[in-house]
Amino acid sequence: MTDRVVICRCEDITEREILEAIRAGASSMEELKRVLRVGMGACQGRTCGPLIRCLLARELDLPVDSIREWTRRPPIKPVPAGTFIQGDES
Amino acid sequence: MSTITCDVAVIGAGIIGTATARYLSARGAEVAVIDRSYMGSGSTGRCIGGLRHQFSTPPSIRLMKESIRIFSGLEREFGHSVEFHQGGYLLLAHDDAMADTFKSNIKVQQSEGINVSLLNPGEIQALVPDLNTEGLVAGAWCPDDGQAFPFAVLKGFRALTEKSGGQFLLHNPVEEIRQHNGFELLLHDGTRVEAPKVLLSAGPWTREMALPLGLDLPLAPERHEAMITERMPRFLDPMLVDYRSDGCYFQQMLTGQVIACYTPVPNVPGIREDASIEFLPNLAWRMTRLVPALRNAAVLRHWAGCYTMTPDGNPILDQTPIDGLYVASGMCGHGFMFGPAMGRHMADFILDGEWGMDFSEFALDRDFSPGVETLK
Repeated sequence: MTDRVVICRCEDITEREILEAIRAGASSMEELKRVLRVGMGACQGRTCGPLIRCLLARELDLPVDSIREWTRRPPIKPVPAGTFIQGDES
Repeated sequence: MSTITCDVAVIGAGIIGTATARYLSARGAEVAVIDRSYMGSGSTGRCIGGLRHQFSTPPSIRLMKESIRIFSGLEREFGHSVEFHQGGYLLLAHDDAMADTFKSNIKVQQSEGINVSLLNPGEIQALVPDLNTEGLVAGAWCPDDGQAFPFAVLKGFRALTEKSGGQFLLHNPVEEIRQHNGFELLLHDGTRVEAPKVLLSAGPWTREMALPLGLDLPLAPERHEAMITERMPRFLDPMLVDYRSDGCYFQQMLTGQVIACYTPVPNVPGIREDASIEFLPNLAWRMTRLVPALRNAAVLRHWAGCYTMTPDGNPILDQTPIDGLYVASGMCGHGFMFGPAMGRHMADFILDGEWGMDFSEFALDRDFSPGVETLK
């Protein structure tokens, strides 16, 4: 069942892959992100983040609040590179 | 609290420590790799994953020849992909002085057997049709340079190390290094690690770890920033390196994202991982000046990590005056690419007491007068 539940839709990562990574020793959101690229797609983890936090809490038998969230990185939402440039010249 | 005894304690689970541990354990040594956080949490996991032969002196070139050979076999060795791809590195010169530097480097590289050549702007345009060649004088091109994914490489080296009996003690900072019949490392959770030999491969933290032992290593961390775009269909194969003072460098990953950096002038000293406000506008301008089509590429994320610099741009790979204490740091931004070969040589040196290659340029007692490596 868990291999049919997609948790990170941007990077197409299933619940099973996340559970396997946790069982292989990943103990934080940051590690899961780096090993599986969860939360690294267009939504930057806004969809999968809370779900992964709950999975970690459940697997590690810890309160959800004690699982540290991802570092939020600018620019938060995808922004075309051209938008950062004023006019045609810097 | 528990005590762990091993032959070599490795401090730092980045590419250097992990690769060294893999080759130490393959030769039968018992190793423990210790890190304050997760694997690759320092510099390795923040790098953009480029691999190049194009350096200016023989030791670095030879090391990279061996490293890229190792990278090319990792998928078979690990049983999983490390996203290794040889799309080449194209270095760009916009003035005659840089073109001359390329020319003299290419002579050295070719004499080391590297497939590298100087291209004129027309040849460069044919190679990268999307490139704006305005002001371009020449390019240095090596099709055998490439990329790999740092976390997949770390994962593979760790698995092989553990298979040979090595241990990883993560999320557990070293609080104190005591010298007493070898070394005794006191970890944050109270674990003690006893080993006759210790390797300091803690990247930007190496200098502060060595200071209490009376060693002042010439290592200076500085902040470098990077950004990544959404995945796009593959359109750019080589890493482009624009050597202008307001240049940048970027490549498209095998998985489609464009990943980019620039070297800040002046540099930003310190162990810093904060993201600056000016980076994205500067980078967007520099990157789209070179490849205007990137104007529409959506930027997803921007982060920072440390280079650990030495005064001459070469790493420090050596034993220290303290018996049994070794150092592999000061990678100056090249740790990931040097890692596999450096790990193998460091492991042999720790076990045999002699180098398999002439590494006097990386020795701790060398003359550090700046200006050896020209391809920063």
